[in-house]
Amino acid sequence: MKHESKLTPREQQERAQALSPQSTAREFAAVEEVLRADAAQTPVPPAVTQRLNESIRQEPKPRSWWQRFTGR
Amino acid sequence: MEEAITEQQPKSRPTLTDAPADFAALYETHSQAIYYLALRFLGDPARAEDATHDVFLKAYRKWGGFRGDSSHRTWLYRITINHCQNLRQSWASRNLVSNADDAVWEHAQSRTDSPLRVLEMQELGERIQDALEKLPEEYRLLLLLIADQEMSYDEVAELTDQTTDAVRGKLHRARKAFAALFAKTA
Repeated sequence: MKHESKLTPREQQERAQALSPQSTAREFAAVEEVLRADAAQTPVPPAVTQRLNESIRQEPKPRSWWQRFTGR
Repeated sequence: MEEAITEQQPKSRPTLTDAPADFAALYETHSQAIYYLALRFLGDPARAEDATHDVFLKAYRKWGGFRGDSSHRTWLYRITINHCQNLRQSWASRNLVSNADDAVWEHAQSRTDSPLRVLEMQELGERIQDALEKLPEEYRLLLLLIADQEMSYDEVAELTDQTTDAVRGKLHRARKAFAALFAKTA
């Protein structure tokens, strides 16, 4: 049984573009630029922040320099 | 008058809800740079997550004693480098290329002034990691540090315990080597 697409050709094209990997050809003039572009698209995984929150919750509050200085 | 609407909304930044405000701000500002250094230096996302957690926990414990002798970024990088180098020393067998191979990189067939082409940004990380893995550890670290626009040659020299001139010389070779290796990953 043949299924007819309910999408218009334009909608089909938009969907295909949304699903296919983005073609983002770029040229970089320097090694540092490549690394910066990579760093910019590398966020911290949320799990790190969650784990750190949990770990900090179990830690004693850090003393400020003046508390250390006065021994309080 | 209404402010112009930017094309891209800023990405949400990691927020520490259980830390004092100043430390939470430190994390928000520097965690991406620290994670990135750990990721590309160690070459393993899971270990980089562990390292980032451990680095900031160490920083949290030392936070009260931080007196601002260096910038926050430099201070955090120092903790990260020590932590990651200790980890890497424990997997010494994975270090395939030693620094004794400098001569190889000196004669690498690549010009640093030719553009580095990337067809798909999604593959960028994988290609960078492949190239970095084949570099001597010292070159890898220097490239990652100097790529951070907040870091000067002097700060990189201080972090890696060498003169600024030595850093410049090694970076010249490191760039050539990276460019050659990166081209091969295409």
